[in-house]
Order: sequence, then structure tokens, then C-alpha cells
Amino acid sequence: MKGTEEENLLSEVTEKNYEYGFTTEIESDTIAPGLDESVIRTISKKKNEPDWLLEWRLEAFAAWTKMEEPEWAHVAYEKPDLQSISFYSAPKQKKELASLDEVDPELLKTMDKLGISVEEQKKLSGVAVDFVMDSVSVATSFKETLGELGVIFCSLGEAIQEHPELVRKYIGTVVPQRDNYYAALNSAVFTDGSFCYIPKGVRCPMELSTYFRINQAGTGQFERTLIVADEGSYVSYLEGCTAPQRDENQLHAAVVEIISHDEAEVKYSTVQNWYPGDKDGKGGVFNFVTKRGICHRSAKISWTQVETGSAVTWKYPSCILKGDDSIGEFFSVAVTNNKQQADTGTKMIHLGRRTRSTIISKGISSGESQNSYRGLVQIHPGAENARNFSVCDSLLMTDRCGAHTFPYIEAKTPTAQIEHEATTSKIGEDQIFYCQQRGIEEEEAIGLIVKGYAKDVLNKLPMEFAVEAQKLLTISLEGSVG
Amino acid sequence: MTVLTDIFKSTLPPPTRKSERWKYSPISKLLNSTLSTDSSEIDGGFSNEIAPNPVEGLEAYRLVFRNGKFNHSLSDLPIAKGVICMPQSEVSGEDVPEFKNTYSKTEWVGELNESYHQDGLFLKIDRNIKLDRPVLIHHLTDGKDVASFPRHFVRVEEGGEVDVVVWSSSTKNSSGMYNGILEASIAPNATLTLEKVCNEDGKIYHFSHENIIQERDSKFKMHTFTVKGHWVRNELEIISRGKGTDSIFNGAFLPTGNEHVDNHTTMDHTSTDGTSSELYRGIMYGTSTGVFNGKVFVRPDAQRTNAFQQNTNIVADRGASINAKPELEIYADDVKCSHGCTVGQFDLDALFYLKSRGIDEKAAKALLVEAFLADVISSVPCTELREEIMKIYKERHGW
Repeated sequence: MKGTEEENLLSEVTEKNYEYGFTTEIESDTIAPGLDESVIRTISKKKNEPDWLLEWRLEAFAAWTKMEEPEWAHVAYEKPDLQSISFYSAPKQKKELASLDEVDPELLKTMDKLGISVEEQKKLSGVAVDFVMDSVSVATSFKETLGELGVIFCSLGEAIQEHPELVRKYIGTVVPQRDNYYAALNSAVFTDGSFCYIPKGVRCPMELSTYFRINQAGTGQFERTLIVADEGSYVSYLEGCTAPQRDENQLHAAVVEIISHDEAEVKYSTVQNWYPGDKDGKGGVFNFVTKRGICHRSAKISWTQVETGSAVTWKYPSCILKGDDSIGEFFSVAVTNNKQQADTGTKMIHLGRRTRSTIISKGISSGESQNSYRGLVQIHPGAENARNFSVCDSLLMTDRCGAHTFPYIEAKTPTAQIEHEATTSKIGEDQIFYCQQRGIEEEEAIGLIVKGYAKDVLNKLPMEFAVEAQKLLTISLEGSVG
Repeated sequence: MTVLTDIFKSTLPPPTRKSERWKYSPISKLLNSTLSTDSSEIDGGFSNEIAPNPVEGLEAYRLVFRNGKFNHSLSDLPIAKGVICMPQSEVSGEDVPEFKNTYSKTEWVGELNESYHQDGLFLKIDRNIKLDRPVLIHHLTDGKDVASFPRHFVRVEEGGEVDVVVWSSSTKNSSGMYNGILEASIAPNATLTLEKVCNEDGKIYHFSHENIIQERDSKFKMHTFTVKGHWVRNELEIISRGKGTDSIFNGAFLPTGNEHVDNHTTMDHTSTDGTSSELYRGIMYGTSTGVFNGKVFVRPDAQRTNAFQQNTNIVADRGASINAKPELEIYADDVKCSHGCTVGQFDLDALFYLKSRGIDEKAAKALLVEAFLADVISSVPCTELREEIMKIYKERHGW
């Protein structure tokens, strides 16, 4: 690529402002900033929670106060001041909503701007949308259809009221309260999230989807998602995020727990496009997420993620392959631009015999961003004939960005087979030249190559998401991608 | 109770499991031991178990150290124009080398070496001088609870060429710590070949750190063989300071019993057009543990770097384990960097093929191991050394 053209492309990319940066004005019920035990009691009381959950939160809080914020990730940022954020913010409930038509028109307008019309989606694509505006779910669709099959899909708050026995049985079993600094914080102050239960042998007929948005200024988001797939069931779950433009950093410390019982399969897909900050690295969301699933006998968990947003990302969706013959998968495309920093990857913990895992990670760094893959493949002594295959590729778009790979491989059995490979390169000039020879513009050629590069992962996304993911990839790298 | 930190004082704390660089290589047992440096005044005398020249038939200049102290009578120093080769204790005035690496400022092991170091090689090769034979440093440990802190210094001037072999051995009843540092700098167009062999009986905690600085168009080639060792940590750090450097570094480790072998390598490309190629192979027998950590840095201006790293491991027995961590940190875009890391076992099809042709299982496995190691061993330039290493591997594992 010629120097000047590259500069032109680059300036286009860097000057591109965040498209989805708008704020919805809805009255909110927010408690004063700061964090202590009384805040947790207030949250619990506001949400009318049972005593055991309050105890559970307080245990987490006690553990958290003794913990230190981790510093091992390959990222540098100013630590968020937790005493300056409000830990609870819920849109004021006007009345009980029976259908989506009753939803606040402001909300619907927001969704239109995001390019998803809830109603249209409801009709056309068969997707049930649990729309999370800040911390409380205000709209849930397709509940009736799912209800017939016995599938429970609701906000976690609702589940705590209506299915406390299920929540109590599973919450914290995969990500314990004291797992890490941010998981402990989340356990103490989580406000809401999604809950999903698929009964034995049920194949969930539609993709379950939640649209997260961070909306209230100065509000940290502490979502907690719990997915339980009972024996022989199947579910595909979608999580997508966009956030309005803000100048101060916003913290997002979510926890996702998945329990995949014998022979069950859970497919969890994420498209994440939170505000990454402006081209000077001002503002942007801090995304410190703990996602983990446990697989019982012959079960499967598949994580697919397309990460384009957030100023700082710290996220390792993991699989504990406890049961024999269980399968874990991780497919990821992480795009960083400007001053974004991402430290993301996965952990595959092989405990059962003949467990298998696949990791495909594609990093794309542009601008002055830093993009790291950090992964762990651990084969325990009992995991006979365990198998792992990992590929981590990085693509560098400018000479000021960085791409890093930190894989940890720990094998403790003589029958394990592990293969790991990683490559780092830039787009080949000969590839671009080849395309140009055939009449494809340079910009279009780069787009073609990037999409081809990320194809292995994009193909794993459900149809509805794949379209959005492509759009996000294009927006994130606009100027260099056609 | 007297612990090691009482005897050898340092400002830096010893590494714990929480230190990222040491998480797979705990040293708590060493810290509880009571060691001392060799205080005997006698020059001469050597072990009956081990010959002063560890490699039969190898014609080399030789520097022999016993428990960290230089042994004149058993050494054979070169007398050649443009070559200074002597123990550091005999270097005087302006020639006394100044160690520049930061290892002693950042690591407990390094600080101990700096505070307590005894002696070592001082080697300087002048412009366009090619030394006719390798320089062999033989380090013997034959005491109980003995700590030795050798420090070697090598400088190869423009166009010079030299081959250095660092061999450490110890007797069956020996115990203690070997804590050695080698610092080398290679001038433009010069070549340094380094072979490091650890063949230690007894219970020695072996720490070695090599710090290599490469200038423009220089060549560096290194082999690290851990043929035997109770607890071994090999650290290699190569810094490419000039453009067009070439670095090749390979290693093989076959721990058995409850041995522990840790290989840490860092390849730091700070300038343009450099190439580096790394190949480490390990077979873990018994209940041994192996560690591989390979880091490749490509700094912001190191364009057109071509770095390749491969680590292949076999976990041969139940109870053995390997912890591997191949890392890339890339800050330049016009580069080709890749790494591959595998853990597996002997190819059962190949084993079956050999057996079906009348080769018994043991011989067949030996053949496969030989083939597995061939890529590493065959690139050692010195025939005698190559054969000796293979011989020890074979004797050890009873092929």
C-alpha cells in the first residue's frame, strides 16, 4: 500500500465517530454513588429478594473487600473509582407491560436507531428479545411460546421471584462469589440479567436474544446471566451490545454462567460494540467480564464472539469439561482500533476422558491499539485421550498497533494431544495486488481479505447475528474495509 | 532454622509461585537448604568419577572450574594472536569486563550471582580472528551443599568467529546450587556459536542465564541440552540491536524420574530485518515436569522481522507433565511471526510399522526418539559433541 493512501485511509478510520452514540432520555430511579454494605442491602431490598440471596451478596462483598484489582492483563488504564458510580439504576416502571406495544416509545425509537425493530424481529425472525435497558428488563417477548415447552426465559430478577429454587441451585456454581475481583464485585451488587432454563430433552425452537445497553450516565453495569440446559436439551443464546457515547469511563463487570447437563448443548454468541472511546482514547467502556460454562457428560458449550467495542476488554469465556466426551469451543474475532486495548481469549479445562476443545481466535489491530490473546489449555491427569486444537492469528493494519499472544499449555496426561499455532502478519501486498489486477478497488480488496480472514468465526454465528457482525466489522475498520 | 536467604543476602525477594516467570518452577525446597561457597584453598585435584575433559576426543581449549573455582592445572588455554582467553580472576586493569545486563537488578537469582560471583571465563576475539578450536568451559560440582556462582564474559569483535561450549557436571553425592551467568556481545558480521550442556548427577539446583547482544549482521547459534539434572532452569535472552541479525537457538530436554527442567527463552527484535528461528523439543518420562516459555518481542521499529518458534513435547509416562507458554508480542506490522506448540505421544502408526518389520518395541521407540531429537542435535557443528550428547541420552534411557 502506498504511504499517502494508507494515511488517507487511516485518517478516515480514526476520524470516524461512534455511530451509535446517542442517549435515550427516560426517567431513572438511581441510588447515590458509592459502595458499602448498605448499598447492597438497598439493592436487595429494592428488588425484593429473599434473605439467602442477600446473605450470598454480603458474603461476596466481604470477600471482595479483601481482594485486589488484578494487574496481570496486557492493558494499561486508569482504574475506575468505584465510589463514584451508582450501583443501581432502573427505568421507572410505569405499569406492567403485557406486550411490546406498550413499551415506552422512546425505547422503541432507540431500537430503531440500532437497526433492530423489535416488532419486526418478533414477526420475521422468530427471535425472542429480552431487552435490557440499563439494569432492569422492561420487555420480554415470545414468553408464551416458550412457556408451552417449559422453557424459562426471563430476567434474573423475575427468576429470583418466580423460580427461586432453580436460581439458588445453580447461581455461583460455575463462577463462585470469590472467583476474581470483578466476579466478586458482580456477585455483591448485580442488579439484573437474564435467566434461561431449558428442560430435559427440549430443543429450544428459537434463538434467545438479549440486547444489552448501558444507558444511564454514571451507572456501572453489573449483569448476571445464568443459563441452565438440562439433559439432552439445546439452546442458542445471543447477546449483543451497543452503548451511547460518554466521556467518563463506564465500568461493565458482568458474569455469565452456563450449566450444560449430560448431552445438552449451549451455543452462546456475542456481538459486543460498546463505546470504545474517541480517537484519543478518551472515554469508552471498561469491559471486565467473567464468562464460564461447565459441561457434563457428552455436553457441549460453544462460545462465539465478535468484539469490536470497549476501551479496555478483559474477557475469557471458558469451558470446564468435567464430563467424559464433552466438547468446548471458542471462536472469536476481536477488532481493536485507535487506542483500544483488548486482552481476551479462553480457558479450556479438561477433566473428563476424551474431552475435546477447539479454539479459533482472530485478532485484528488497527490505529494504536493493543490486541492480546490469552488462553489456557489445561489437561488434568484423568483426562485421558483429551484433544485440543488452537489457532490464534493476528492481523496488523498499521505500524503503531500491537498484536500479542500468551497461550498457556499445561498437560498432565500421556495420552493428550494438543496443537497450538499462532501467526502474526499484515495483509499481503501481493494479495491486494492480485485483487487490483482483477479490477477490485484497493479498499474493497482489503475488506475482502479481512472478511475472508474472519470467515471461520463469522460462519459460526447465527444468521441474524452474522449480518450485524459483518456490519460492525465494516464500521470498526471503515476506511480500510470496503 | 538457617535458610538460604540468611546465608546469601539480597535486596530482591526470592521468586514465589505467584511470580509469573516462576509459577511452574517453585524453589521453596532450595530456600530451606543451608549452602555455602567452597572455601578450600587447594588448587588441583578433581573427581574420580568425571574426567576433566567431558567429551572424549574433542579437541578444545579448556577452562576447568571446580565448585566455582578455577583449576589451573587441568585447564588448557589458547595462545593465539588476537585472542584473550583467561579466567576473570586474572584479568586486570581496563580489561575487567563490565556486565551490562539487568538480570541482577530484576531477579533474585541474578542479584545473588552479582553479589557472590567467584570466577569465570573472559574471552575476547579480535577483528576477523577465527579461533581454530572450541573453547570448553567445564564446571564441576563435587561438594555437599555447595553453591557456586560462575560468571562468563565473551566479546567477539567485527568479523570474528568462535565456538564456546559450557558443560556442567557433578558427582553422584553432590548437592547445592549452580547459579551461572554468561554475557556475550557480538560485533557486526561476527559469529558466536554456543553449546550449553547440563549433565549433572546428584541434587543440584541449576540456574543458568545467558544474555546475548547482537549487533548488525551478526550471527548467533545456540544449543541447550539438558541431558541430566535434578532441577534445571535454563534462561536465554537474545537482544538484536542491529539490523539483519540472524539468531538460531535450539534445545532438547528429556527429564526422567522426578526431575524438573525449565527452559525460558526471550528473543527481542529491536532492529529491522532480523531473523530468528527457535526449536525446542522435550520428552517427559517418569514423573518429571518440563517447562517451556518462549517469548518473542518485535519492537515498534523492527520492521521486516521474520521470527519463527516451535516447541514440540511428548508426555511419555503417566505422572509426567509439561507446561508450555509460547508468547508473541508484536509492535510492528511488516513482520512474519509464528509459533507452534504441540503436546502428543509417539506416533503409534510409526511404531507399528517398525514392529511389523521385526524391530522390537524398545528399539523402535529408540529410533523414534532419535528421529525426534535429530532436528535439534544434527545442527550442532561439532561432531564429537554431537555424538557424546546422543551417547549420554542413549545410556540414560537404555535404548
